[in-house]
Amino acid sequence: MSTGYQIVVCGSIVPDPLQSLEPIAGPTGPALKNELMLPAVIDPWAGHALYEAANLAAKNPGSKVWLVSLGPKAKLQQVMMAVGQKVPFELVALDGPAGGFTDAHEVAAKLADAIKAIPGLDRSKLLVFGGWESASRGAGATLQLVGERLEICDQFQGVDQVSAVEGGLEILERVEGGKHQVSVCAGPPAVLGWATGSLGEPRNNPQVGMANMRTIMPALQRATAAAVGIGGIQYQSVALPTQQRVTRIVKDVPADEIARELVEWISQD
Amino acid sequence: MFSTKEILLTDPTTSTEGAGVERQTMNVDVVCVGFGPAMGGFLTTLSRALSDPAAASAFQSAAMPGMPPQVLCYERAEDLGFGVSGVVTRARGIRQTFPDLDPSQIPMATPVGDEKVLYLFDPVGASRRSAGLKVADRLAKTFKFLLKYDLDAIEIPFTPEFLHKKGGLVLSIGQFNQWVGAQVMGSGAVQVWPGTPVSKALVEGKQVVGVRLLDQGTDKQGRPEAGFMPGMDVRAPLTVVGDGPVGPVGRQLDEELGMPDGHHRRDWAVGCKMVVSLRDDVDLKPGTVLHTFGYPEPEIFGFMYVHPDRMASVGIFVPSWMDSPVRTSYRYLQHYMMHPYLWRYLKGGTLRSWGAKTLLESGMRGEPQLAGDGWARIGEGSGSTNVLTGSGVDEAWSTGVQLAEGVLQLWKEGKPFTRENLDATYVARRRASWVEAEGKVAEKSRDGFQRGMVTGLLGMAIAGVTGGKINLGPEPVAPHERIPSLADYYAGRIAPEELERIQKESAARGVPLHEALMDRAGWPAIPYDGQLLVSHQDALLMGGKVQAPGGFADHVVFTRPELCKDCGEKICISVCSGQAITLGEGSVPAFDREKCVHCGACLWNCSQPLEKGSERTNVEFRAGAGGLHSAQN
Amino acid sequence: METILVLAYTESDGSLAKAGLEAVGAGVELAKALGGKLAVGLFGADVQSAAQAVAGCGAEKLLSVTGPDFASARYATDAAAAEALCKAAGATLVIGAAGSRMARVLPGVTHRLGGQVDTHVSCVAVEGGKPVAARWFYRQRIEAKLARQHRPWVLLLDPGSHAPWKGEGAKVAFTAVPVTLSEGAKRTRVTGVKAPQADQQTIRPDAKLLFVAGAGWTKKQADGQPHMAEAEKQILGFLRASQASLGTSKSLADLAGEGQAVLGFMSHLNQVGQTGSTPRHPKGLATCCHGEEPHVVGWRFINERRAVNLDPNCGWARGKADVLYVADAFAVMSKMTELLEKNAGK
Repeated sequence: MSTGYQIVVCGSIVPDPLQSLEPIAGPTGPALKNELMLPAVIDPWAGHALYEAANLAAKNPGSKVWLVSLGPKAKLQQVMMAVGQKVPFELVALDGPAGGFTDAHEVAAKLADAIKAIPGLDRSKLLVFGGWESASRGAGATLQLVGERLEICDQFQGVDQVSAVEGGLEILERVEGGKHQVSVCAGPPAVLGWATGSLGEPRNNPQVGMANMRTIMPALQRATAAAVGIGGIQYQSVALPTQQRVTRIVKDVPADEIARELVEWISQD
Repeated sequence: MFSTKEILLTDPTTSTEGAGVERQTMNVDVVCVGFGPAMGGFLTTLSRALSDPAAASAFQSAAMPGMPPQVLCYERAEDLGFGVSGVVTRARGIRQTFPDLDPSQIPMATPVGDEKVLYLFDPVGASRRSAGLKVADRLAKTFKFLLKYDLDAIEIPFTPEFLHKKGGLVLSIGQFNQWVGAQVMGSGAVQVWPGTPVSKALVEGKQVVGVRLLDQGTDKQGRPEAGFMPGMDVRAPLTVVGDGPVGPVGRQLDEELGMPDGHHRRDWAVGCKMVVSLRDDVDLKPGTVLHTFGYPEPEIFGFMYVHPDRMASVGIFVPSWMDSPVRTSYRYLQHYMMHPYLWRYLKGGTLRSWGAKTLLESGMRGEPQLAGDGWARIGEGSGSTNVLTGSGVDEAWSTGVQLAEGVLQLWKEGKPFTRENLDATYVARRRASWVEAEGKVAEKSRDGFQRGMVTGLLGMAIAGVTGGKINLGPEPVAPHERIPSLADYYAGRIAPEELERIQKESAARGVPLHEALMDRAGWPAIPYDGQLLVSHQDALLMGGKVQAPGGFADHVVFTRPELCKDCGEKICISVCSGQAITLGEGSVPAFDREKCVHCGACLWNCSQPLEKGSERTNVEFRAGAGGLHSAQN
Repeated sequence: METILVLAYTESDGSLAKAGLEAVGAGVELAKALGGKLAVGLFGADVQSAAQAVAGCGAEKLLSVTGPDFASARYATDAAAAEALCKAAGATLVIGAAGSRMARVLPGVTHRLGGQVDTHVSCVAVEGGKPVAARWFYRQRIEAKLARQHRPWVLLLDPGSHAPWKGEGAKVAFTAVPVTLSEGAKRTRVTGVKAPQADQQTIRPDAKLLFVAGAGWTKKQADGQPHMAEAEKQILGFLRASQASLGTSKSLADLAGEGQAVLGFMSHLNQVGQTGSTPRHPKGLATCCHGEEPHVVGWRFINERRAVNLDPNCGWARGKADVLYVADAFAVMSKMTELLEKNAGK
């Protein structure tokens, strides 16, 4: 029996969370103001998925990791500079919009096609990883749709841990109340949508970077156009919520008094 | 020539140095330190040549036979967009590289339009103006009907040619660097890695054989911790150093291999700026360039450049010859923005980004050795900035191009990167260029500022007009030699007892001393509006992201704690652009990496020389990860 | 005419959880407003205990998929059950009950139906005779209202998006929908639930109060020293006394994740905002937390907000909180704990 997994991570870019975001009406639907100028990072959960994939691959000789990413080529390139030194992977790049207002169904179709086109793909080794939702659309739908298109019906969301046990893969998924559901899956093929996982962000490793660069730049240059849009969605309004609170600032009051006021507030219904 | 190796004491980075720490090594053809305009020029020129199909045979990698040359650039900041200006440039060198440059392709770029130089009066009455200047102010206001007076400012009617940037570009350095970086990376011929600080150059004798990357997974003192990854050694026949005016690698080379005789770096400034989204009804054309002086203090120069889409960069420069022991930038920037002449445009605007940066204003006198066996320096850190015209981006770019041309020539001729060969190719090109010629005119043009603002301005004008043949002013002294004590600075204005009281109170309340003293001097409190006028810490949060990835050592270090004990001024605290340096336990200031924007102001502001007569201060500014990156920078 | 299917799963005891009842409530209202047909589809081990809960909702079809194979929250079997229910109902609109079990499968099921899905729907309404959904984008920073023409349109609700249905009248009877499971449907076995030790459980979704401890707890205090042990004692003590749910900001969660000697009971699961959660509690108290936007977006569903911070210019001061107390959290929290314990002892 051959060892090793083929781990395909789906993940794209999102604006860095500390930036101010403002919606505008674009020609093809809602978009963010200055979207292409905002510094981008790899979607945080997709990033966790990528690092977990690399970790799993490292533990299972013969494994390989791909990152399938749909986003504007120029931004993908920028983000690859940040991610490319972290873990070894091969990039499959699709040149298209990465905004949160696009339709998950259209994106999933393109991702699934790109995955199917990966040469040498073996279902018996295939694990599809990704973030359980994105920091842009935040739907938690895309990965599942990809899984269905690949006819994979062992899917897990909110994953924090995967480990090899007797009988297959033991997977922990987040459920309500800060708990984890434990399942054992007989093995690939499976889809895992990751939450934050249990690994820290890997350090930058120049040798990893050098090795990755050999495939990243050619992949970006080869990136096929992936026209995705808002699909069947009719946006009726897209707005920043208004902050209506007027803050009362309490200064120069002894801690005891503040504590009393807060306890009273908590105890009210 | 100074060599201060003997003086270096507790250097935590050396704790991982000979201690049998195993380091990986990588061999490449060219390793570069820092990505800014200079490196942009270098890598653009190089990558173009390497991407030329005909080049395949001409350029072969020595490090990886059979491959094209491996050119790697390591940049400290998490993104290539770090840059504080708001820059206006004549863009001669840049245009030579990009003859078809279309500003609309680069976000926030626009051709220069209307240029004005303004003298700003003090509407608040708190700035420290000399008696003479006060008289001049009064006279000017009396005769304002004869002058172009408007909202507490006069437009200087006649400004020398050399100050103008006609035909040039208003740029955002951040956007420009990103744009160049994307092109350079996209060529596939070179690699640029952000988020990867270089700790030091590897020096063997007089030769530089490569660089060592910064250790990761250490505690704040640099000692190995969980996840310790020793910085890799990247060895190359050529190391290109373009790490800016406060870059640690450049300064290490200065210390270990020496500065040329008589050269020193004693003239600096810290620039602090914001990018502001203007109100809808503001009617300023993109490309409008305003340069100001006179407010908030006579020594502080300021600017406002208008970008497309109702954005403006506005900022000030606080120089090393402003002899206040509590000099600071952020609050002065806020007062600057509220000057009536500017406030009419800025009021109601929204802060988009904020940042700060040290400028090396020492010009050619601050030029280090430009090249040696296995290494070359480019950009602002190599003294390329023209301190008369106040322009550096184009000059930096051009030095990068000059080096690239030299490198390509040497590769073609199959010659090694020795001092002689680099001198004959890179340095020769540089000396023959306009960068050198104009730099020579500027060489002593700023010396007059050592005596004061008026002398300085006169000196600049005279130098400009005489082509640098006549200069006013003495040779600068090291900034720490100029700093008066608090008592002396406030003599006749604030009694020593009151000073002491203010110091004690502000320490107890956790309010920075410079804030308390500015209040006392009559500077009004800033009316925060949560949108443009915000607290210093809010600017750090609203104006971008300060990165401080974990596992790296503190990069600002107070070398000899006993010197801090006796230091009454602690200018480092007042001038720190991010309020990362604060009063700590005991007498040594505390440093918080999470607020540091890597401006380097602490380095040259420190009032304590490391040793008597030393050019170095008690603050070390080492290689560090992180910094500030703003969205619309 | 729309056929609205309310899709929910039953708990291990066969009952319908609050989220399910909220979906029923939403379905009933939608059917009325659109003049459409209502159906209810439940899956799980057993649905008998749910029969009373949905009484009186006016559903024309009450469908169920039950059995031991459908007891666990497992994608393959849940998806098969949900698919069968949707097809049997002939649904044009599907209202999915909130919860991780539904979130795991519903988009996948939508694909099998040839439908289109929108998740995390905070509100469904009818405008101009058509259903319209509201949801958040970019981590609760932008809100949008949207509609789709395509059918079936599947909407997965978020908790708290509608008033829960109160069953009234006679118990109802469910019609079982047969489902044939493929061979591969049971490749996964759910083996259990892992929970932190009872006394270490700091996440309490039903708590009335969210208590956020920010990075300021671990920083140097007025005496120039950090006070980790004291901070831990204060925070845990307050949590015990108040039974609040514990949240934190990304910076503190990151420190904890890197194995630093920070507050040992803190993990990424506690994080609010950024990559963390957006919990729902009627009240929230933020301490030693600067109140910057990416964290505060996690407070979107906290109604009443107060903060304790030594910095009068922190983010909470400007419209992000109702009240900001400029004070030392160490002092305030210890006194609060003392008072709460005293009140409880009364």
